[in-house]
Amino acid sequence: MSPDAQAIGRVALVTGSAGGLGRAICARLRRAGWTVAAATHRDGPLAADLAEPEQARALVGLVVESHGRLDLLVANHAAMTMAAVEDHPPDDWWRVVDTNLSGSFHLAQAAVPHLRRARGAIVFVTSEWGAIGWPGASAYAASKAGLIGLTRALARELAPDIRVNAVAPGVVDTPQLDVDAAAAGVSLAEIRDRYAAASPLGRIGQPVEIAATIAFLASNDASYYTGQVFHPNGGTTTAS
Amino acid sequence: MSAPSRAAIVTGASSGIGRATAELLAAAGYRVAVTFRTHRAAADRVAAAIGGRAYGVDVADAAGVEALVASVASDLGPIALAVSNAGTYEESRLEEVTDDAWQRMLRVHLGGAFNLTRAVVPRMRQHGHGSIVFVASELALIGSDRASTYVAAKAALIGLGRSLARELAPSIRVNIVAPGPVDTPLLPDRDRGRAYVSTIPLARLGTAQEIAAAIAHVAEAAWMTGSVHSINGGVVIQ
Repeated sequence: MSPDAQAIGRVALVTGSAGGLGRAICARLRRAGWTVAAATHRDGPLAADLAEPEQARALVGLVVESHGRLDLLVANHAAMTMAAVEDHPPDDWWRVVDTNLSGSFHLAQAAVPHLRRARGAIVFVTSEWGAIGWPGASAYAASKAGLIGLTRALARELAPDIRVNAVAPGVVDTPQLDVDAAAAGVSLAEIRDRYAAASPLGRIGQPVEIAATIAFLASNDASYYTGQVFHPNGGTTTAS
Repeated sequence: MSAPSRAAIVTGASSGIGRATAELLAAAGYRVAVTFRTHRAAADRVAAAIGGRAYGVDVADAAGVEALVASVASDLGPIALAVSNAGTYEESRLEEVTDDAWQRMLRVHLGGAFNLTRAVVPRMRQHGHGSIVFVASELALIGSDRASTYVAAKAALIGLGRSLARELAPSIRVNIVAPGPVDTPLLPDRDRGRAYVSTIPLARLGTAQEIAAAIAHVAEAAWMTGSVHSINGGVVIQ
């Protein structure tokens, strides 16, 4: 893929960049010509705890200070817990919602003046589970469903200056699978097979496939899309 | 509807949809707990008129909701139905939303439903069955250009309801009602004007009684769980 002329010199902030999906997003955007500010939860120069509004604002400020502009926000960071609703410690429950949903909100709020100037775009990374729900994942699913609402609201509110869309991946081949396998008490191969069997395409997704969808939504090729949720999931939710 | 002679909790029932729901459920034979946060006198009147009981609670306060559920179970008997309806509506541009306003919106709508569910589920499990209804909003489905905090909170509520429907099946059903523009105190005056109402396919606002009927229906529909019941005069057709 050759660099995209419209991306040259433009700056993207990608959160959750240390994860399997985040790394793929950063690589894909860089190949397309974007200058990528890769934010992480813990390590590196752009580390921020996005459950804290002040840290979300500081992160956006730092990126704009370093690069002089901001054209694209990809809110990809996420916290995750699995627990039955009646046993879910409230602090953990809110930690997930405050990171995934409130963190994305505060990032968007801080980014908007810069994105308006740049006629930029926001892509929120939500989840299939936000669209259809999942047992034992009430906090995660609520946070990701909230992100879909936020996408639809901000698309209307920020139009026509800023396009706002979301991507809701199905199960993707990332280290999260190890966590899922451990939680289900099965091997990694077994959990992969289970997820693959649930997909009409017969396999789980690859991070590059999700990254490609995000890069498309960020590009000028997607200039007439706003308020939409893309579902790269192998067809798992076609029935709902 | 049969006469169940069981208890139901309706949060935010001093006026509007909550009040109409409390009245309808009482008429259907439920002993109804009418909760309020600030409007005690109004809640007392609703409760007195339907033979129910009023309880003060801030649904955002987990301990308060836990105490509420314990009181209701002891005063009115086994809780068969919980309707999470309490909420507030606010408009503000993204740039003007304060951290506190965002936090409060999530804590009331999403936290209110989470707190109520956590508190009633162990009791419902004990009795082997139960029904939970979350009141969301059409705006969660279509967005709004001036209420991102409300929309995000209500959309999160839909995700929560869909997850809990899967998680708590088969003994407890969880459904969501997403009302469109309804003639209640929460409706902004702008939405009462002809200019807006004429855009609604059914050409009028909904009534609180119509939403209450939808809530009572999904509450009793034994093969329905995880559904989003979109009752909005045709504002959302998708």
